[in-house]
Amino acid sequence: MAEKQKLIEIKNLKQYFNVGKGNVIKAVDGLTFDIYKGETLGLVGESGCGKSTTGRTIIGLYKATEGEVLFNGVNVHAKKSAKELKTLKRKMQMIFQDPYASLNPRMTVADIIAEGIDIHGLAKTREERMQRVYELLETVGLNREHANRYPHEFSGGQRQRIGIARALAVEPEFIIADEPISALDVSIQAQVVNLMKKLQREKGLTYLFIAHDLSMVKYISDRIGVMYFGKMVELADADELYRNPIHPYTKALLSAIPLPDPETERTRQRIVYDRSQHNYKEGEELQFREITPGHFVLCSEAEYEKYKTMYT
Amino acid sequence: MEKLLEVKNLEVSFQTYGGEVQAVRGVSFHLNKGETLAIVGESGSGKSVTSQTIMRLIPTPPGKIKSGQIIFNGEDLVKKTDKEMEQIRGKEIGMIFQDPMTSLNPTMKVGHQIMEVLIKHQKMSKSAAKERAIELLRLVGIPMPEKRVNQYPHEFSGGMRQRAMIAVALASNPKLLIADEPTTALDVTIQAQILELMKDLQKKTGTSIIFITHDLGVVANVADRVAVMYAGKIVEMGTVDEIFYDPRHPYTWGLLASMPSLDSDDQTELAAIPGSPPDLTNPPKGDAFAPRNPYAMKIDFEMEPPMFKVSDTHYAATWLLHPDAPKVEPPEAVKKRLRKLSSNYEKPVVVKESE
Ligand SMILES: Nc1ncnc2c1ncn2[C@@H]1O[C@H](COP(=O)(O)OP(=O)(O)OP(=O)(O)O)[C@@H](O)[C@H]1O
Ligand SMILES: Nc1ncnc2c1ncn2[C@@H]1O[C@H](COP(=O)(O)OP(=O)(O)OP(=O)(O)O)[C@@H](O)[C@H]1O
Ligand SMILES: [Mg+2]
Ligand SMILES: [Mg+2]
Repeated sequence: MAEKQKLIEIKNLKQYFNVGKGNVIKAVDGLTFDIYKGETLGLVGESGCGKSTTGRTIIGLYKATEGEVLFNGVNVHAKKSAKELKTLKRKMQMIFQDPYASLNPRMTVADIIAEGIDIHGLAKTREERMQRVYELLETVGLNREHANRYPHEFSGGQRQRIGIARALAVEPEFIIADEPISALDVSIQAQVVNLMKKLQREKGLTYLFIAHDLSMVKYISDRIGVMYFGKMVELADADELYRNPIHPYTKALLSAIPLPDPETERTRQRIVYDRSQHNYKEGEELQFREITPGHFVLCSEAEYEKYKTMYT
Repeated sequence: MEKLLEVKNLEVSFQTYGGEVQAVRGVSFHLNKGETLAIVGESGSGKSVTSQTIMRLIPTPPGKIKSGQIIFNGEDLVKKTDKEMEQIRGKEIGMIFQDPMTSLNPTMKVGHQIMEVLIKHQKMSKSAAKERAIELLRLVGIPMPEKRVNQYPHEFSGGMRQRAMIAVALASNPKLLIADEPTTALDVTIQAQILELMKDLQKKTGTSIIFITHDLGVVANVADRVAVMYAGKIVEMGTVDEIFYDPRHPYTWGLLASMPSLDSDDQTELAAIPGSPPDLTNPPKGDAFAPRNPYAMKIDFEMEPPMFKVSDTHYAATWLLHPDAPKVEPPEAVKKRLRKLSSNYEKPVVVKESE
């Protein structure tokens, strides 16, 4: 990426859920990072660490508890006119994990895909509307005969393509893909990932790609952020992260990925992470600090000094 | 090596509105004592139906075992009555399902669910069963088992529920454990813990395991042998090294090539297998994989390939192994894996029907 233009700026974003009896879940707890135009930022971390909540808050499905999200400089959560809100909604789209649950079973594929076109008045005539639907079907590798069928007539991979066509229908700039391939077969996963990459090249799309399959994330992402308990603990270029993980949680995570090679598996040494291993002192402040250019780690001042000498 | 299970020419179908779904179309394999066999393959290829048939858990109707034998411990499970099967299930054969919430009883404390098995199958007293339940929870890595034993499934996190289900399945010391995608919904760290746990328990108890998964990394980690299924049949079977370092079937090649590799920086397209799997109400003539197979020859569309034997342990059903077939190059990603295995025969030989 030659010119790095920020499309999304996330500043100290917090999302707390009040779950009654004074209990608060800090699902997202102070995230600060940018997403550049045209890149894919992968987001990984264990179940419940706040990946989906991060995506949903960025796109404005939840109101942030604290902090802000700027899209092209515009604050997503600030009060806006209905028109501004509609434009914003159009530019940011989400693809969901479950291709079965996320498509309305009683709507035809054409109506599912065209829903956004209708809401945003993107087609002037019925013909134009259908034309767009046919184009979109072809873009995602389906064909126009599929337009009048219902979701249950499709395989998982095909349904996920319909979900992608629906997201593309309103010509977004930014797509949040929340585990878009987890429910699919290995061979079909590759189809969907190839399609997403192709669309990115052709349309200059920006992706936030949430997943727990770390080999697929590495393949598709330019940069990767690792989350742990609502916080981002490490952020770096994809290759750099896998080659030189710094935070002990990242190391543990990477050491647990099973690889399709029996010999490596027979000799696998798994690293176990324990939060207490940091031995942080009372009141020691943790910050997201840059260890090497573009490689950030959540750490204390003391750890920062240590990492600096170890990794530079 | 002693055989614990032998499945012979199993055929299972379902009657549906759209016709007869031929879910399993002549599957044969065996499992030795203390061994782990992984079954991989396309969604809908019959992995779950095969394993549910061994447990005799397919609903009949619409399901039907059309032919075949399931010899377990010298007896044919196909011939057992439902009552006899109930004795075998839970006692001799344990099963772990993909979604723990469907098999744990949400209204019953986790500890009680384990105790039930112990009291019923091991004839333990209530207090002995409780003690053993706590021990089992500790064994599967649940912290503070004395406390957890009295909790309900919804009070457990996803990974803990999965482990609790494993504890239930292990309670009866089964000779055979069938695990159908037991870790697919879990994070890699918890997945790794559970795989380590299963291997550890296997070492201690000598249990045989059938492990169904679509994650080839997991297969490489747990399996002694691997069966690859496509459209209701086993298309390739071999030791884990044979499948990963010397695969012969083009579907296996496709599976291996469609995975990104962690160490490659290359940004070439993943080699997706084009198209989608066949309709099993009307399975295609010839090799069912032919329409999606870039290596398909004319004969693939007309005649089903026989099983070829590549070594004592390695089988593949593809015409590419026929002596008259042209030599083809597997995809790049597969070529990088290939190794010369000394156990291979000089030339593949056709397996006779009776074997
Ligand atoms: N609407 C909600 N109300 C209350 N708690 C919530 C809500 N949504 C999420 N949470 C909690 O916030 C935390 C983060 O959840 P989130 O769904 O973002 O995790 P995730 O990283 O996407 O996990 P997974 O990999 O399992 O999808 C969890 O503890 C979850 O239980
Ligand atoms: N109760 C049923 N009624 C009708 N058809 C069924 C039934 N159960 C399974 N099938 C069909 O049998 C075939 C094999 O299904 P099976 O569940 O064994 O696939 P699988 O290999 O386990 O796939 P996955 O990886 O998606 O779990 C599929 O075509 C499926 O639709
Ligand atoms: Mg999520
Ligand atoms: Mg299944």
